[in-house]
Amino acid sequence: MAYLSMGESHRRITDYLNRFADAINYQDGDSLARLFSVSSDSPSLLSLADALNVFQDANRLIKQSEKFSQFGEVVAPFFRSLQCYRLGNLVDAYGAFEKASNAFIQEFRNWESGWALEALYVIAYEIRVLAERADRELASNGKSPEKLKGAGSFLMKVFGVLAGSCDLQGKGPKRVGALYVTCQLFKIYFKLGTVNLCRSVIRSIETARIFDFEEFPIRDKVTYMYYTGRLEVLNENFPAADQKLSYALTHCCLSKEANIRMILKYLIPVKLSIGILPKKQLLENYDLVEYNNIVEALKRGDLRLLRSALQENEDQFLRSGVYLVLEKLELQVYQRLLKKIYIIQKQKDPSKAHQVKLEVIVKALKWLEIEMDLDEVECIVAILIYKNLMKGYFAHKSKVVVLSKQDPFPKLNGKPVAS
Amino acid sequence: SSSSSTGTASAPQDYNSYTSYSNTTDPYSAYSGYYNGYQQQTNNQYSQQQPNPSYSQPVEAYQNTGAAYQPNSSFQNTGSYAGTASYSTTYYNPGNYQTSGGYPSSGYNNQPTAWNNGSYANYTSYQYPNYTSDTSSAYSSVSAPATYQQQYKQWPEYYSQTEVTCAPGTEHLSAASNSNHGSSLPTSLPPPPPLPPPSLTPTWRPETSSSELPSMQPGGAASGAHDNYWNQPAPSFQTHLAAPTQPIYQNSLDSKTSYENFQELKTAPQGLNSQYPVVHQVSQNYQSTLPTVPSFDARRVSKLQIPTNPRIASNAALGIAKTEKDSYAANSAPRPAYISVSVQKPNDKMSPNNAADPMLKPTMLPKSLRGYVERAFGRYKDDDAKRAACEAYMKDIITEARADGTLYTRDWDSEPLFTVPDSLSISKANIQTPTHASIPNYNKSPVRRSKSRWEPLAEEKMLEKPVSASNEIGKYGSWDRKTFSGYSATKDNSLSSFRFSGPQQRTPSKSAQRPMKRQRIVNGTGLTNNDDDASSDSDKEQSLTAYYSGAMALANNPEEKKRRESRSKRFDRGQGHRPDINYFKPKNAGPANLYTRRASALMLSKSFDDSANQAVEDIDWDALTVKGTCQEIEKRFLRLTSAPDPSTVRPEDVLEKALLMVQNSQKNYLYKCDQLKSIRQDITVQRIRNQLTVKVYETHARLAMEVGDLAEYNQCQSQLQILYSEGIEGCLMEFAAYNLLCVILHSNNKKDLLTSMSRLTPEAKEDDAVKHALAVRAAVTSGNYVTFFRLYKSAPNLNTCLMDLYVEKMRYKAAVCMSKSYRPTVPISYIAQILGFSNAADENGETELSGLDECLEWLKAHGASLITDNTGEMQLDAKASSSTLYMPEPEDAVAHGDSSLAVNDFLARTT
Repeated sequence: MAYLSMGESHRRITDYLNRFADAINYQDGDSLARLFSVSSDSPSLLSLADALNVFQDANRLIKQSEKFSQFGEVVAPFFRSLQCYRLGNLVDAYGAFEKASNAFIQEFRNWESGWALEALYVIAYEIRVLAERADRELASNGKSPEKLKGAGSFLMKVFGVLAGSCDLQGKGPKRVGALYVTCQLFKIYFKLGTVNLCRSVIRSIETARIFDFEEFPIRDKVTYMYYTGRLEVLNENFPAADQKLSYALTHCCLSKEANIRMILKYLIPVKLSIGILPKKQLLENYDLVEYNNIVEALKRGDLRLLRSALQENEDQFLRSGVYLVLEKLELQVYQRLLKKIYIIQKQKDPSKAHQVKLEVIVKALKWLEIEMDLDEVECIVAILIYKNLMKGYFAHKSKVVVLSKQDPFPKLNGKPVAS
Repeated sequence: SSSSSTGTASAPQDYNSYTSYSNTTDPYSAYSGYYNGYQQQTNNQYSQQQPNPSYSQPVEAYQNTGAAYQPNSSFQNTGSYAGTASYSTTYYNPGNYQTSGGYPSSGYNNQPTAWNNGSYANYTSYQYPNYTSDTSSAYSSVSAPATYQQQYKQWPEYYSQTEVTCAPGTEHLSAASNSNHGSSLPTSLPPPPPLPPPSLTPTWRPETSSSELPSMQPGGAASGAHDNYWNQPAPSFQTHLAAPTQPIYQNSLDSKTSYENFQELKTAPQGLNSQYPVVHQVSQNYQSTLPTVPSFDARRVSKLQIPTNPRIASNAALGIAKTEKDSYAANSAPRPAYISVSVQKPNDKMSPNNAADPMLKPTMLPKSLRGYVERAFGRYKDDDAKRAACEAYMKDIITEARADGTLYTRDWDSEPLFTVPDSLSISKANIQTPTHASIPNYNKSPVRRSKSRWEPLAEEKMLEKPVSASNEIGKYGSWDRKTFSGYSATKDNSLSSFRFSGPQQRTPSKSAQRPMKRQRIVNGTGLTNNDDDASSDSDKEQSLTAYYSGAMALANNPEEKKRRESRSKRFDRGQGHRPDINYFKPKNAGPANLYTRRASALMLSKSFDDSANQAVEDIDWDALTVKGTCQEIEKRFLRLTSAPDPSTVRPEDVLEKALLMVQNSQKNYLYKCDQLKSIRQDITVQRIRNQLTVKVYETHARLAMEVGDLAEYNQCQSQLQILYSEGIEGCLMEFAAYNLLCVILHSNNKKDLLTSMSRLTPEAKEDDAVKHALAVRAAVTSGNYVTFFRLYKSAPNLNTCLMDLYVEKMRYKAAVCMSKSYRPTVPISYIAQILGFSNAADENGETELSGLDECLEWLKAHGASLITDNTGEMQLDAKASSSTLYMPEPEDAVAHGDSSLAVNDFLARTT
């Protein structure tokens, strides 16, 4: 690093302070936002950080003039945070940033309009990112990571400020910022694995009269739908998950391929569960090849393929939370298999096609190298009938599945398998 | 039960608790009733008027208890002991009182509760504690009467305490009343060693006697007074008895009025000199009442009970101002047999002597202990004040010993004499090696050792017969004893011991004062009054004890003695700072006792309030991480409400033994659960985190699983996961499997399941148990009942136990599924086979048929429609059933959702 003179450092710091004061005075939210984005590693902030490390007494500069000192409670901790960040001390950087953020929120609360929302977004984002990095640092030092949790409660506070701002006269100008904060909260909760904490936020977003969902920025709506869709996947509420994820998909900017892929990662299993198979092209376009074999298994009624596909990507599916959903596809695979048997029988002898002997099914499974005895297959058949994947009945005495002559294998057509 | 009969008596509140014992032997059975109710006010009144009426209320309460206890053999004693027991309980479970209903102080109720507290707080109804074995008391006296009498003379004060109810009663009371009983009763008492628990219940009678005894104490005047007392008790008994059944008693009893309230008594027993005065007053009242009566014993008993209570009281000391208020109407329900006239006379004679100290009465005490007592007193022949102090001290020691169960086991001959504190005037000389041992029999009895939570502490020791019953009880009661032991230890420390004794005795009073759990409140009020009397001081202590009984309980172990000594010293130093404390302590007793007892930070903070104003929040919890010194292997679980007392905490090596003991124990789950919880607590407070910790939690988790106690299991499991994640070795795979099963089968939380599954290491997935759990998961999610029940049969470890809890649901789902999928019928034999019914048959060693029958029953219970086909085979009519199947309400459903916690169920299983 080039040598930095005291004069230069001094200049950089006062320059920042001037820009900060100007942004607030002119209510320039975008500029203000840029001044807060620690983790953006923008050249101006990096150079400021260097300057701060040279010029240790920045607080004196802040106090020097009335123009700066009114923001002292925000800027002073922010400078410390920036310094620590530059030095790689993320835990302290987070701590100082949270302090600065708190002070900023106090100011923000007093501003009538929502001009500073952009800055607030940046702060909400930064606090989450800094907390994540701080936790990583803590964990590597063998300490318990707790900063992200702290960031979660801080953001809840921010959410309260935004929602609270609307209480007085119907709708406040700041309410539209609530969804962004909500999405940051979702990210934190999903990361922490405390997804049940999402519920309270969702409830206030969906029920509070001050919020009109359509009013929120589109990007926040997409993010929100994505996360709530994922929650529905966890609950195995497929129609709701389908609706939310589809909303996210259709509103997502087409240029954001990564985002589309993330949405598809959950939407595809959901669609599979309600009997809708994706085109191969889609899977390839968005690099979702892990679903290839699963889709193939569904088409062919190949139980073995399904199992091996699940096995192969087990870790991935478990982590993303779709494993249990995919596993349930097994019944559909059985259905497909039986249907194939039925079709073959029909080709041979249409008059007896609707009677499928249990032995035949066992034999078919054997070809798939799946050993199941009569009792197990009988149980599977019973479940298929019970879940309405197959119409007909099972005659225990003769060990024969008697299929309905009319639409023996009803399609799901967007409805989930009965539970 | 007898108790109910007593109820007829309808005595006013005064006698809260009556125990009954129904001894199998009969005679005694009727009497056990003691009353515990010591409402302060009524004292005098009792004697004549109400004994009966007052009882009535209690009776009901007891009845309940009786039932509960019955299962436990230990209850036999309850009658007399009940009183004591009750007190002890009070400390622990204020709640219990409430249940008891009208009786503020009903000792019986309390006792049961006490143990309940440990693990079964819910069951207030348990009155077990009360029933400790009483038999011991009966024994005591045979040989020694003469000597005792002498002793009694010396200690008039004790008298009151010692009131011994009928033989049976005495037995119950054993601890407290030993001396008296011994002299008078032994002969008369046939001692029903076997304590038939069931019999007890019916017999409950409130015993007024205890109250009377105190009055006796006065000593010289006493003899007359004693007579009265005895007499009085008798009447009371009668009433009680009448109901129970034994006519004989009734007669005798009738003549005699019940009496006394013991507020004073309590204090007196406690021992300290100050207390005595009060006692005397009481006695006076009584005196008027009646001439000689057999009832003596009963009274003694009641008193005895009181002493036990004191333990509790000790803690409470701060809060409790005045036990005096409490009047104990101890009705001694003498057992018919006891009533025998001859006995009575002896009693009377004895009584004067005994009056001094019920505890000290020879009959109750082992010879060696008597010798010890004599020695102790011998030292202070010339100094009345010291002697008084000595008496108090001795009482404490004995009470503690009883509580500990060491009364008979301790080597009194070699026991160091305590020193009476200087202020008191001393006791040093008095205590010599105990030479007299009239009670040797008891000493060896296992009973003492067994600590039953159910039983009142002191009582247990006394009883020989009850032993078997008591043993069971003993498990639970263990901590009680410990506490006592602790006291005894303190006794060693002269100062400390005094303090303790005071509280213990007081406890009864406390109980009386507080009908319910609000002992604390009572205490507080009591405090205000205290200033005047020494007795009041003791009361305060009692109240405190009640408060902190929990803490105290912890501190009972012998090992604690040393600790206590040192602690008491420490406190002594601190006395200057805390005026409160000082004032609590009567002349004799140093403040040390209070402190020693209280392990709780709270207490400390309170005591410091005036000077230091230390808040609980300011306590350095790290500094409170204790290193245990307790050597007792058995210990009741008591939720800490204060900082742990090292003397009640077991060090690691002892905990290991305790764990082994639990593992090898044949006792039921509730006992084991309680023990394990106490082990876990000790581990936690000492911050032990190693393989032992893991073992304890694993053991507990397995036991909990076996009985389907998911709540406890979950606690253990979550701890285990933390421990495993810290790298401590254990049965990781086994518990990973359990965890999986638990999530799948019982929580049904997809997120948790995913988390658990994603955390499985590749090695874990190769583990049989984990594989099995995963397979079960798959079967459950797909609803594959065939696979589920196959896995059920092949489950490794305790996976079966967890699956057990899901079997019903799975079967129901399967039945619904089959009724919808099958047409026209399904053979029952097939269903039985598929749904694991034949499994049960295998277990029973019966034929396949029984599985079939079971399946039939099950299907019928769930609304299935069954038909018989032309070959005579039973079939499930699928179509008809598809609309009629339903999930029946579980028969054993209970309001609180956990049938395993049902009292009756538990009792039934205990036996």
